[in-house]
Amino acid sequence: MGVEILMNEVGVLPQDSDSAGHHVLPDEFEDFYNRHSRAIYYLALRFLGDSQKAEDATHDVFLKAARHLDQFRGEASARTWLYKIAINHCRNLQQSWHNRHMFPSSDSPVWETTAGNESPLRILETKELGCRIQTALDAIPPEYRLLLLLVSDEELSYEQVGTLTDQSVDAVRGKLHRARKAFVAAFAKTE
Amino acid sequence: MKQQSKFSTHQQHEQDAELHAAKKAGLEFDSVEQLLRHDAAQTAVPQGIARRLGESIEKPGVPTRSWWRRLLE
Repeated sequence: MGVEILMNEVGVLPQDSDSAGHHVLPDEFEDFYNRHSRAIYYLALRFLGDSQKAEDATHDVFLKAARHLDQFRGEASARTWLYKIAINHCRNLQQSWHNRHMFPSSDSPVWETTAGNESPLRILETKELGCRIQTALDAIPPEYRLLLLLVSDEELSYEQVGTLTDQSVDAVRGKLHRARKAFVAAFAKTE
Repeated sequence: MKQQSKFSTHQQHEQDAELHAAKKAGLEFDSVEQLLRHDAAQTAVPQGIARRLGESIEKPGVPTRSWWRRLLE
């Protein structure tokens, strides 16, 4: 049942065939991955603030999803289900010994990944903006960071964000207001 | 005269298009959510994830990175 729902989702243009154009994922999983991978990777990247950790987390989240497709009952949307896995995974990573004791290297290429087909100027702009966004997100409480990242996904309703963060819609709205203010203040300091 | 008017209209269209492009390049956002959406749209998913994932899916039950490797990295 769940698998059928997932596989019936509208796919997007394949972006993860290898350079030779060969498919690297099982056909039935590829559309699912292409449809949700950007959202999951972006959440992991901005929540963890480290591109390598985000890459690993995205891999692990989709691997868990692939191995537990039979547990997806279709009560929530596939995106919500994946976010739930991703949030738990990222929180576990943040609480791990490694994360509490190690600091990311200064040359970590967090800002190096930008979409293709852009002029150099555009890439420079994007890098600067991405850097400022990450700095601002790092400066606000993780709860606010997560809320802002989730509500910025247009596929999620406030109800779904509430479910994902274990709180009521009213609580989401109240905290979101404070989260926006905190982000704007932190973002202004990055200028 | 009519031709000149046509030319002026064309020029105006070009100027409007340039202005629109410049405004877009100025990266102004109405909300935090809009800013984050733009950032997400600019963020490419590394190609290597799909390849690793494909390999991992083919090897069921084998952990992709052991706990000690995560600890050391």
